[in-house]
Amino acid sequence: MTGAVAAFPAWRNHGGLLGVVVLIAAVFILGATLTDRFLSLGNIVNVYEQSTDLALVSLGQTLAILTGGIDLSVGSLISLTSCLTSGLINGDPNRVIPVVLAVLALGAVIGLLNAGLVIVLRVHPLIVTLGMSAILQGATLFYAMGPIGKVPRNFTFLAYGRIAGLPVGATIAVLLFILIALFLRYLPLGRQIYAVGDDDDAARLAGLRRTQVLLLVYGASGFCCAATGLYLVARFGAGQPYTGVNYTLTSITPVILGGTALSGGRGGVIGTLFGAYLISLVNNLLNFMDVSKHYQLIAQALIIILAVSVYMDRRRTA
Amino acid sequence: MTATTEPLETAASRGALPRFRSLLSRFGIFLILPILVVIGGAASTSFLSTGNISNLLLQIAPLGIVVIGQTFVMIVRGLDLSVASMMATAAVIATGFAGSNADIASIVAAVAGTSICVGLINGFLVAKRGVSPFLATLATMILLQGFRFAYTQGAPSGNVPPFFRTLGSGKTYGIPNNCVILLVVVAFFWIVLHRSAFGRRVFIVGGNPVTGHLLGIRTDVVTIACYLISSCLAGAAGLILSGYVGLVDNWVGQGYELDSIVACVIGGVSLKGGRGSIAGALAGAATIMVAANEVLLFGLPIQVQIIIKGVVIVFAAALYAG
Repeated sequence: MTGAVAAFPAWRNHGGLLGVVVLIAAVFILGATLTDRFLSLGNIVNVYEQSTDLALVSLGQTLAILTGGIDLSVGSLISLTSCLTSGLINGDPNRVIPVVLAVLALGAVIGLLNAGLVIVLRVHPLIVTLGMSAILQGATLFYAMGPIGKVPRNFTFLAYGRIAGLPVGATIAVLLFILIALFLRYLPLGRQIYAVGDDDDAARLAGLRRTQVLLLVYGASGFCCAATGLYLVARFGAGQPYTGVNYTLTSITPVILGGTALSGGRGGVIGTLFGAYLISLVNNLLNFMDVSKHYQLIAQALIIILAVSVYMDRRRTA
Repeated sequence: MTATTEPLETAASRGALPRFRSLLSRFGIFLILPILVVIGGAASTSFLSTGNISNLLLQIAPLGIVVIGQTFVMIVRGLDLSVASMMATAAVIATGFAGSNADIASIVAAVAGTSICVGLINGFLVAKRGVSPFLATLATMILLQGFRFAYTQGAPSGNVPPFFRTLGSGKTYGIPNNCVILLVVVAFFWIVLHRSAFGRRVFIVGGNPVTGHLLGIRTDVVTIACYLISSCLAGAAGLILSGYVGLVDNWVGQGYELDSIVACVIGGVSLKGGRGSIAGALAGAATIMVAANEVLLFGLPIQVQIIIKGVVIVFAAALYAG
């Protein structure tokens, strides 16, 4: 498996894509037979729109997982960035642009800090980001104990606006996915992400830029969290100190559904995007079927179990 | 520490001060805990009062029980994220009956049954299907949460039988009852892990599964057993915690999954498996609780507690990473 940077067979990174597309098709067929409205354009756009936040967080998470790591600080970082966004803007339209830029930068910097700790302390990313998660949650609670601030009306354009009939936030997310997918496929540093995840030691011995790869990956994850935080503020109108809590673990589900191996080195972001759509679709279908939110959790867990049992990571069975 | 862990230790301790590092990573936690206690005693007169100590012990017991199970799982290169969800489920089951002592047998049976199912699912997914422990236990965590919410419709009601109240929050001659339970559990599982043939197998499977396989050890059975131990102890801890808090909601035990992992890591249980001890993990649990207690006692804001926990976990892990 070493030295696979140049000669990766393309299918190897996209094997999981097939599975998730088949599942999506199955949900479509099931939905269409159950209710007419499921396949209506309005509903499809709805599903597309509702997947935005999950898709954005999972994008960064995918990169972290591709290197064989994980980012457990995403939830707290989303909470922190959403509180800072609405708290600092506080209804003033003139502050929107500087605050948005500052928050995106802060997200990236915290991601870089995660990577720095992983590199310098040589501690597993799981632990570093778990610790960071606690620190960020504490910081968030220092800043706000409850919903804080407000945003100008036009800020909600990010969540509710439409350009040519397409929701703005969701479309920005898709563009980001395409950008990252191209980066992973065609740029040397993108290929090195796979190499580091596939075999860290081999990548190091081959003289690959492991430090840059980790900085890039966790920085990107932090950036994605900040973007999610902005989106959530646009959707809810204010930041809340616990708004991100659930994303820490749910951000991993689309990644796995999309066929990215948790052990790293295999998968891709497009699968993750479809994974997010699958979850959004299933929740939407369950809503149509009047299934309570509680059973939606059970459905999600069963999907994870199904997916992980089917994909089965070959390298772990040694 | 058992002899089986020796090669790993020497390999892991290559550095500027190998001997010191190795000592520190083995016994560091037993240094941190007394220091914390001394700081607490020096800074606040009420810290060492019998009332506070007895309260501390009361709080340590449920976490201590969970941590023992987590230790087994982590030694076989795993992680159990489902413990907190299992605890909450046990607590919800405890209130699912009429709330009298007559229901104890059914409650214990229901909790044991659920725990065994959860442990088997976790173990099966990890050992037989090669699913990463993180994901397998994440799935059961969400699954249990879903069942719990579906069962309670979001708002649990009912009472915990008085017997569990006595177990969870009662004291006999000033000694918390749940600490007695903790001691019994610790003694039993200390023997299992550090003095039994099974314990040896656990270390071998965690240290190097291939070696374990070549030695003729049923690595899958050992792994499944570890997940079983973890979920059963989590169920028991949930019952005790429900007796301690009295009120049951859907989130009893929330945070215990991460706290138990943190306790193990700062107690010297390696995330890479094959290394760890019950004593270390317990000391880790005590450290977390003492630190949390001191933050409150010193009148620091609750946020500081969370931040300290974050800083401690990263740097404790760094200490062991060498």
